Amino acid sequence: MGVAVVSLVVALAAGCDAGESGSPAPYAVAADAGIAVGPAPLRRLSDGEYLNALHDLFPGVLPLLPDLPPDVPVAGFDNAAEAQLPSDVLIARYEAIANLYAAALAADTDAVHGLVGCADWSSPALATSCATQFVSQTGGRLFRRTLTGDERERFVTRFQGWQQAVDFEGAVQLTLSSMLQSPQFIYRVEPVPAGSPGSVASVEAYAMATRLSFFLWESVPDDVLLAAASRDELRTEGQLRAQATRMLADDRARRVFWSFPRQWLGLDRILLDEHSVRTPEVDPGWTAASQASASEETELFVENLITQGGHLSDLLTSRRAWVNGEMARIYGLPAPGDPTAWTEVSLPPAERSGLLTRASFLAAFSHRGATSPPVRGNGIQLRLLCQMPISPPPGVDLSQPMAAPGEGPQTNRMLFETRTKPAACQGCHGALNGFGFGLENYNAAGEYQTTDDGLPVDAAGTISGTDVDRPFNGGIALSAALARSSVVHGCATQELLRYALGRAPVAVERPTVAALTSDFTRSGGDIRALLTDIAASPTFRQRVVEEN
Amino acid sequence: MNLRRRQLLQGLGLGVGAGLGVFSRERSALAGAPAAPSRIVFYVQPHGHIPNAWNMAIPGGPADQFAERSLLDLDAADLSPTLRPLYGYRDRLLAIEGLSHTSALADIAAVTRAGTGDLNNHQIGVADVLTGSRALQRTGTYCSGGARTLDQELAMRTAGPGRFDSRVYGFDYIPNSVVSPFSYLGPGQATPMVSDPNAAFSDLLGYAIPAPATTSRADLLRSLRPSVLDAVGREYDLLAPKLGAEGRQKLEQHRALVRELEVSLGSAGPMARCDATFDNTATSVRQFMSLIRLALACDLTRVVTFSAPVPQCPELGYPADATFHGYAHQSILGNTSCGQMYSPLAEQAMTDLDAWHAGHVAYLLQQLDSVSEGAGTLLDHTVVVWVTELATPTHQHFDICTLLAGGCNGYFNTGRYVRYPRTLPTPLPNQPLIGPAHNRLHVSLMQAMGQPDTTFGMTDAVAADGTALSLRGPLTELQRQP
Repeated sequence: MGVAVVSLVVALAAGCDAGESGSPAPYAVAADAGIAVGPAPLRRLSDGEYLNALHDLFPGVLPLLPDLPPDVPVAGFDNAAEAQLPSDVLIARYEAIANLYAAALAADTDAVHGLVGCADWSSPALATSCATQFVSQTGGRLFRRTLTGDERERFVTRFQGWQQAVDFEGAVQLTLSSMLQSPQFIYRVEPVPAGSPGSVASVEAYAMATRLSFFLWESVPDDVLLAAASRDELRTEGQLRAQATRMLADDRARRVFWSFPRQWLGLDRILLDEHSVRTPEVDPGWTAASQASASEETELFVENLITQGGHLSDLLTSRRAWVNGEMARIYGLPAPGDPTAWTEVSLPPAERSGLLTRASFLAAFSHRGATSPPVRGNGIQLRLLCQMPISPPPGVDLSQPMAAPGEGPQTNRMLFETRTKPAACQGCHGALNGFGFGLENYNAAGEYQTTDDGLPVDAAGTISGTDVDRPFNGGIALSAALARSSVVHGCATQELLRYALGRAPVAVERPTVAALTSDFTRSGGDIRALLTDIAASPTFRQRVVEEN
Repeated sequence: MNLRRRQLLQGLGLGVGAGLGVFSRERSALAGAPAAPSRIVFYVQPHGHIPNAWNMAIPGGPADQFAERSLLDLDAADLSPTLRPLYGYRDRLLAIEGLSHTSALADIAAVTRAGTGDLNNHQIGVADVLTGSRALQRTGTYCSGGARTLDQELAMRTAGPGRFDSRVYGFDYIPNSVVSPFSYLGPGQATPMVSDPNAAFSDLLGYAIPAPATTSRADLLRSLRPSVLDAVGREYDLLAPKLGAEGRQKLEQHRALVRELEVSLGSAGPMARCDATFDNTATSVRQFMSLIRLALACDLTRVVTFSAPVPQCPELGYPADATFHGYAHQSILGNTSCGQMYSPLAEQAMTDLDAWHAGHVAYLLQQLDSVSEGAGTLLDHTVVVWVTELATPTHQHFDICTLLAGGCNGYFNTGRYVRYPRTLPTPLPNQPLIGPAHNRLHVSLMQAMGQPDTTFGMTDAVAADGTALSLRGPLTELQRQP
């Protein structure tokens, strides 16, 4: 490993230029039969995965928990292995949460019987047998595999010490707490496969069960997956496709259906503090409830569409929506009888289409008092097209342009055209404004508008930097064009692979990304098919044999 | 424990102090440590300062040489508008004009030459201010802190049983994920920050476990927390060697922290000897200032970083539809690549914002000065470092305004306003001359905290005209002369 580590040191010393591969650490990369497999860094459970795991392992147990320190996002994703260094706060919170869960479980006699798997520990012999049963059974669920004999012995020995110090139930509590803090639970430890260093091998069966469940359920494997692992039936492409298909039909898959688009497209940006307020000129009715409603509307839209088999293009073009009273107001629909209930509606065909024309995107990429076409354009480029925008040069004025007194009425578009007119600005703003101007029919609250400062809105825009470059008029035409773009489909594929692997795809995986993109585009953007394809892909089911 | 780990790292061919400093937690005893330990608090204020409102004249002071004036003989009105709220502590202040974020300028020059990477002066400034190092450029996303920050380096060096390495409190900067935080454990690894004062207080109290005299079953279970952590630590010990180098390092780091928590729980904490009361009714910024007092007075940590919030405009009497970020870009007279946009209102707003921060710093100094310690107060044994990631709100990285307060056990010569001359060429082409690198201030702070280091972060840079720039050595002019 020495050589690879030295290269990391050099990279850091050199300021870590984002090289071709962007590989963040000294991981091995190898190719097998022409298919290259990227690194497999050790992954810790993200905050969301950790809490889902506790929820699924101990349903109905709901102790009040302290907050975990938030995961450090990389490119919007909270499960990046490269940003998972532990800290003293994290370790202290893991301890507190483990103790709270263990105490809550041990306080309930039925729960203890369930965890232990027996109910009579009245004699020393029975207690030993029950302790062994408990360690094997509960340890197996928490560690997502059969415990080794060595592990079982360690935990049983500790158990017995704690039983002497307190009592049997107390030992259950303390053992549970120790298991919940152990690396076998908190980390996704994968055994280094046998083979010559640098070669490629299948991921070990139980580790594969864990890969699948955290990818598709954001949580621990169920008994079916663990049983399949015990029979070594998570190896072939066919076996993995069958499991993925089964898992995507399960309710737990709703987590990835929301979590991935949320992180990829930044759909929770609307929940930032700055969007709790809109100026009265934009929308006198906007409150923190509007912000929360816009977010929930998007979650319902995305999750329902994908659960029902929706494609990527549907996310961009569908007019299906679930609205409450507040969203009906923002979308100009008749007020419903019960303003708190969410009802499915079809949005006005001349005004709305998919995500880019919904309040959560339009308001989240606006300022409080006005829209910002460059900010909206930036959102589209960075998120939907995976194009890293160039940051504004030093010293430019990023404030909202405003009409000087006495200049007469001007639309927001005219103000931005004046502001970004210098040639130095146009290098970037030609493209940014091209996207953003096309959305000027929607104000900073996401409401439809045909006039701005008393003048008619001009929503003519231009798509550039894609395979569907063209002039367009309005958000519906923009959405329709982008829904057909292979750049958008390629971006979704690359980012879903990032989500699945906990790291950005590296250069040697470009052929894999290209093949997945091509299948994804050919399927018409079938998101569930892409999830299945990735679950069965070589880069997901194989890993490089590292030198230990 | 440290020795074992160091041996292990060396066994892997990873010498401590090599590029993998992020994983090493080397500690050194304070040589000839004074009775009261030295502490350091960083008050990090976003958005830079308005030099016109911060700087003070030095009558007769030469522009091309180091110059200084005493603050002790001044009236409140003689202090600059930004520094005026700190008048009551003028004997404890060391105001420093003229340093440069030289490592940030060198980074910007290098990224520009490379033609790839996130080249935003503001983000590079955030990544640089406490690292003094080049930012970490990451594929397809914004840049981030490229090295362990000064606060976290000092945290590792000054940590001990029963103490947190450091506490990082405060608020997200601009509330989006584009601008990175200020404190880093290592490249791209933000130090967790606690934003809720009540949670911060619970953390501090969390190191207290019941005395063995109590015998209730609940207390008995709680008293076994170190035993559970011991079992947990062993799992890390046993699993780590089975992994490849990258996974092994992660688990090693995790295990070290588990061990520290175990040791901390096992030691009789100093809480009993200090005032651990906490008033949670003040504003959250003030609550954090008093928590910092509590944490330092009770020796629960020796390093605190506070990431100050950016208030909403109405809080300072400006309109609700304005933002300080908006004002920032209009607050300095001069041309930009998109034209001239200076507004006197914006300059006033940013000046008022500076004074608002100065008021909070003053409150922190009052808190620290209220704790009697040895022959003086806690403030005498602490250095408060008020820094910001930009020189000006318009993203300039030279002519920085920096304030130190507190003597740090007599290391700094306070009660002065000092000015460094701008006589050095800069890494960026066609830019004015600059003053000494802030990396050298970082070295001074390391030494004030008893560390032997003579460099921090970047050590050398090259000016646009080819001149070699040294970023090494402390700023000796700041020290109290024996």
